[in-house]
Amino acid sequence: MATKAALSQQEQQEIDVTRAGFNWGLGLTIASGLLMLAALYMALVWAPDAANLQAPAERYAQRIFYFHVSSAWLGFLAFIVAAMVSLLYLITRREKWDVWSLASVEIGLAFFTMVIISGSIWAKPTWNVWWTWDPRLTISTICWLLYIGYLMLRGAVDNPEKQARFAAVYALIAAISVPINWMAIRWWRTIHPAVIAPGNNAEEAMGGFGLSANIETALYFCLFAFTVFYIMLMYHRIKLEYLRRQVETLKQQIIYRQS
Amino acid sequence: MMGDMIYLAAGYVVFWLVSFVFIYSLVSRQRSLQKEVKMLEQLVQDEPELK
Repeated sequence: MATKAALSQQEQQEIDVTRAGFNWGLGLTIASGLLMLAALYMALVWAPDAANLQAPAERYAQRIFYFHVSSAWLGFLAFIVAAMVSLLYLITRREKWDVWSLASVEIGLAFFTMVIISGSIWAKPTWNVWWTWDPRLTISTICWLLYIGYLMLRGAVDNPEKQARFAAVYALIAAISVPINWMAIRWWRTIHPAVIAPGNNAEEAMGGFGLSANIETALYFCLFAFTVFYIMLMYHRIKLEYLRRQVETLKQQIIYRQS
Repeated sequence: MMGDMIYLAAGYVVFWLVSFVFIYSLVSRQRSLQKEVKMLEQLVQDEPELK
């Protein structure tokens, strides 16, 4: 591992690529920032009110939907990517995939935190409670705690090789919670609306609403903007992790040569 | 009307707040690591026996 000895040529090349890619990173950051502002405009101004919601507070709060669903999409995407690259790590033992997995889980957790908090805020005017142990909400909490556990596991193992291996296996197991979470509103009786399922029960659910063409367009635009946002965050988080490992390597080199 | 919009405002404030905190943590960690890399590289250069 890089932290135990000098960086391998391949790892050094990866660091050099991230350094040389500064303009690519800047371009991605600007494009992502602009897309997020456009998504905000689509969600708050461009998209029409949901037709079947009468109470003003409920109608306004419905607009949380665009960023709430997009954050959930980003969280699911990040956890699935983490599982896929973890599998690649277990097959190839390349450090690169461990770095990707850590970056993806950290980003996914940040967005899943947003999902839980924004969902709770949306629940108050719609369900008249901040929180209820509905199957979807319960599984989302379990999913969030599972990935907190991933970071705790990494912090608890000192040996870098063992840390990467244990984390990869854990990420694969934790990813089982993602499809269960996705399907929870279809498998069990729940008050959480399933707004993007074909033949969904959105309008029957408390606070549910039908997707008009414009609401759908705004939602898909937000999903696209969040996907670009995820790619941008991954780029910077991966770069940061390589930098951290470079520091570790330099420290090890100094200690090794002094001893 | 403002009272009706409070949940909408809170939902979006949470989103932007968490995003900015996350991005700020990335930037500050990157700055501190870059400083550390420079310092360590300087240390290696200053001590010929380490080369």
